[in-house]
Amino acid sequence: MAILEAPVKGIIEVKNYVDGGWVESKGEIQDVVNPVNGKVIGRVPISTEEEIDAAVEAAKAAFPDWRRTPPVARARCLFRLKELLEANFEELSRVQTQEHGKTIDESRGETRRGIENVEVACGIPTLMQGYNSEDIASGIDEYLIPTPLGVFGIIGPFNFPFMIPLWSAPYAVATGNCVVIKPSSEVPLSQMKIAELVDEAGFPPGVWNVVNGGRTVVNGMLDHPDIEGITFVGSTPTAKNVIYPRCGATGKRVIAQGGASNFMVIMPDCNLRATIPALMTSFFGNAGQRCLAGQNVIVVGDDDRFYKEFVNAVVDTAKKIVIGNGLDEEVQMGPVRDAEKKKKILSYISSGIKEGAKVILDGRGHFKIKGDYPDTCFLGPTIMEYVKPEMKIVTEEIFGPTMGIIRVKTLDEAIRICDDNPFHNADAIFTSSGRTAREFKYRVKSGNVGINVGIVAPMAFFPFSGMRDSFFGILHTQGKEAIRFFTESKVVIERWP
Amino acid sequence: MQLNTSASVISFAKQLEADSAAFYEKMAEKYPRANEIFLTFSKENSNYVTMIQRAYYGVITDAIEGCFAFSVETDKYGFEKEPAKRPGFAGALNQAIDMEEKLISFYTDAAEQSKAFMADVPRTFLIVARKRKDRRDKLRALVKEI
Repeated sequence: MAILEAPVKGIIEVKNYVDGGWVESKGEIQDVVNPVNGKVIGRVPISTEEEIDAAVEAAKAAFPDWRRTPPVARARCLFRLKELLEANFEELSRVQTQEHGKTIDESRGETRRGIENVEVACGIPTLMQGYNSEDIASGIDEYLIPTPLGVFGIIGPFNFPFMIPLWSAPYAVATGNCVVIKPSSEVPLSQMKIAELVDEAGFPPGVWNVVNGGRTVVNGMLDHPDIEGITFVGSTPTAKNVIYPRCGATGKRVIAQGGASNFMVIMPDCNLRATIPALMTSFFGNAGQRCLAGQNVIVVGDDDRFYKEFVNAVVDTAKKIVIGNGLDEEVQMGPVRDAEKKKKILSYISSGIKEGAKVILDGRGHFKIKGDYPDTCFLGPTIMEYVKPEMKIVTEEIFGPTMGIIRVKTLDEAIRICDDNPFHNADAIFTSSGRTAREFKYRVKSGNVGINVGIVAPMAFFPFSGMRDSFFGILHTQGKEAIRFFTESKVVIERWP
Repeated sequence: MQLNTSASVISFAKQLEADSAAFYEKMAEKYPRANEIFLTFSKENSNYVTMIQRAYYGVITDAIEGCFAFSVETDKYGFEKEPAKRPGFAGALNQAIDMEEKLISFYTDAAEQSKAFMADVPRTFLIVARKRKDRRDKLRALVKEI
């Protein structure tokens, strides 16, 4: 089968999109590198403090008119954006593969998930309705009006360059706010493409802005008095130690989604035929670079025969994963985003070995790449046995294509391991028993719970949850919670004597 | 060759439909007495492609087990693309019936393999398989008429 045509042929000069126009930055320029072949496909500016200020200023200036724009008219802008995203679906997906390295199925999946958020936000005329009570006292009425706040900052990570800013931005603008988006400087092309379509969809200037950069832009957002709130998706140290406290200090609303170390609990009564492919996607999909990825399986019970059958099936299937260029439709796993990330993953594998884990499938160098590509950013799937809950490969986020196998005797022990972990993003159970599934669902302290589902990714009309070190804030992105986050409840009590 | 990813199987289905459409167009040219039915078949194939693409692009999400959704051995579903393998109109019709059988088995097998993962795609595959069974019956009726 042929490799799909790459939409980015030369080098894209990424610009900021501010006040409805493309603006060149005075900041330093960095290369955007395709991790498959090391080729430079873009050049992105690291914008300055003045440039983030100018974007916030433009957003602030656009807010009064946009807020007065009827929700139904704002929804029409989003409908046009949705149509444009559909029309450009394939190009948008391939750009993600080029800038990130993920497979084309994964990129198309990401595009679909992003568009779904725009679709949900299109329902803003009803989603944003308040409520009222007539005659709270004789002749006095009371009602609640969800009111937009102003300007919001949206900070995106590298692992889902297209989708994650869309967990927030459509809801923010649908509710009448204006946004400044900072994509990851490693993968800025998707948000640039979206901004082109936003422009074509006819959003008024200043409503949707994109400022590329790094810490300066993030700090500029956090300190800016005219930014009402921040949504952030990234690592736990940044979410916990930077974004959350700084938003608190400056009185901003905040959604700060951090990392994860998720468990997939395997019961001996699970349907192995369906479980194994689900685990492959969970652990090795997106090269393990997602906060919903499985990091360790916990195999429950003392049935040695089942355990061996399970381990053999997992290893045999993982061995067959085709690694290569994500634009090749047969490829099942692309590279990790860059060499630094690969190095970090390798160091976690070494740490696991040092702490007593045994590698039963070694993805550090014993893998084949389909096609002629340098192995700079590639890793094969790694599976380790004899993993213990206190090891670093369990208590810290690896963010790579690795699977640790922990063995316990009972479901109680498995739930305890899940609950003792500092992260609580997504845990899942694989079983054919409804009773066991309910017990797990009821007791496990995890933001997103899967039952026979390896990637517990909430749909756009549900919040993207998370607990403890995986999430800092109260309300979550997506759906009704996002609407609530981007609006203040204005309560009116009215009497006409 | 074995195909496992959703993307590769969808592309393979598109290729089968394109090859089958080209086959019927050649049949229409070669046998003018049945050209209407063959051209209809060819047009139907492009509708099937639209249905399949719509189902795939509508349900593919980052949570779907896209990388191990299938286990399709492409060699099992190959067919002769030139309607000249067997002599006479009856021979050509039987060749078309054989091709339809291959396509029916492809869509049925692929639907069975992926039904646990992405419901809309296997459902569409089964619809296409059913329509192809109707087509196969029409071809058999044509053979009987000769």
